[in-house]
Amino acid sequence: MMIELKNLTKVFEVNKNNKTTALKDLNLNIKEGELLVIKGASGSGKSTVLSLIASLSKPTNGEVIVDKKRVSKLPDNFASLYRREHIGFIFQKYNLIPTLSVKENILLPLIPQNPNEIEAQKLLEKVMKKFKIEHKKDNIVKNLSGGEQQRVAIARSQVNDPKIIIADEPTANLDKELSLHFIEILRELKKTKKTIIIATHDPLFFELDFVDRIIELSNGELIR
Amino acid sequence: MILSPEVLTIIILNIIFLIFGTIAFILSIRIFFNWNVESTSQKQYTLEKQSFLSATIIKYILSIKILLFIFFIFTLDKISNVLTGAMCAAGVVDATSYGIYLLLFKLINIYLFGFWLIIHNFDIKTETLKFTKLKFGLFLFIYFLFISEIVLEITMFSSIDVAKLVSCCGTLYSNTQTSYLSSIFMINSSYLLISFYSSLGFLILFYLVRNDYLYIIFNLIFLILAIITLITFFGTYIYELPTHHCPFCMLQNEYSYVGYILYLSLFVGTFYGFNIGISNILTQDNENSAYYYKMSLVFILFYTVLVSYYPISYYLKNGVFL
Repeated sequence: MMIELKNLTKVFEVNKNNKTTALKDLNLNIKEGELLVIKGASGSGKSTVLSLIASLSKPTNGEVIVDKKRVSKLPDNFASLYRREHIGFIFQKYNLIPTLSVKENILLPLIPQNPNEIEAQKLLEKVMKKFKIEHKKDNIVKNLSGGEQQRVAIARSQVNDPKIIIADEPTANLDKELSLHFIEILRELKKTKKTIIIATHDPLFFELDFVDRIIELSNGELIR
Repeated sequence: MILSPEVLTIIILNIIFLIFGTIAFILSIRIFFNWNVESTSQKQYTLEKQSFLSATIIKYILSIKILLFIFFIFTLDKISNVLTGAMCAAGVVDATSYGIYLLLFKLINIYLFGFWLIIHNFDIKTETLKFTKLKFGLFLFIYFLFISEIVLEITMFSSIDVAKLVSCCGTLYSNTQTSYLSSIFMINSSYLLISFYSSLGFLILFYLVRNDYLYIIFNLIFLILAIITLITFFGTYIYELPTHHCPFCMLQNEYSYVGYILYLSLFVGTFYGFNIGISNILTQDNENSAYYYKMSLVFILFYTVLVSYYPISYYLKNGVFL
């Protein structure tokens, strides 16, 4: 899916005297099937870009267009629908529900679609197999290792077959070995022609042969 | 002034509505005059956030106001106990010169509040918030009716003099020349009944041929005839008294609160009937219209069956009509 960011500005206003400009007039085009890495120091605006693309928040100015649809203008109920159908999230801290089992966590994004049990089971089996977590399907998530939790989080982001994958500091909580494993998963995802956007400051991502483009943000502005 | 717990509840709720309604009104002015859904400016994004807040406030105020109408009628009935001469809500309505007009005004407002909620419902179902400007424009108008209603309501409760003798419903709704409904009672009830059942027949016909505008016109005619026939004819069978024409006594326990069921089914049915027009103008969505047609007829038929039950059952029991 083609993504366009036009004159995107985001200002966080704590109060009238305390404003933080997270993004300043950002223009960016992301092609369909592109793997884009956004690098930058903490507070540079990486996560803000992701949340705006995912329509988790509204810009202060400018717009986000995904496949000719102005997603930044969508009312909340339609924004939820857009996220549910098109976006897969991989978070830094996984954001799993610790007291639920692996399969329950993976099935969560499907609940609003209310699929039939056989269909849901098929999708579940498919992603668990793909991300090699099927042997732990009945385990409670809080009892899993960091790497396993990461795989559950990725499986969950893929269960509804989204066209856009958004990952916010996906390796921040992983050791080097698990980070390399995640990169292998990413290589597989890239082959599926999905648009992947990763916000990270992990240097591991900067030398990868399958990354299409790396951009850098500093103080909310595109510097490279 | 009567300060019963029910009256206090209404007054306190009205003051809360007044505060929040005024906030929504100020935001609505801003939204109505500056709304440009195509714009990606900071001003437009701020308006979009404010429109969500404002619409939520209005939605809850109007929804509660609609439900509060039933409580208002219940309150009138309840406080009739403390007014000398009053037997039911009719006495309380008559205690001030504008009581009856307030009641009619409230009734019109209920329909308007309902229409606003329907437009809001259409609006939030569109990705481009197509009817936002319209709904806030309509609220700018509704706000003044809303304020007038609250002021009138509070004034009415504060002007009721408990020491003053009021008329009972037997006098107010009698066949004598002096009562303000006397002209209605002069009409032959057979003509009224023929008109009432004919209007129902036309509603069914226009439903079958799907003529929206004629359905809406007959919906209004049916509403008026239903109220007139309820007072002049059907009510007498509910009370089993040929001279008793009160539209309020049927709301009492003595008559199993049947008035609430009758009025609710009549108002809900005709409200859905009017919605066919709104749906046609705004969405041209046949699915919506089909739903409104169905709901309108279900409630109207229910009303007609229930109200017709009383004279038929009286005839079957006694072998004569009143």
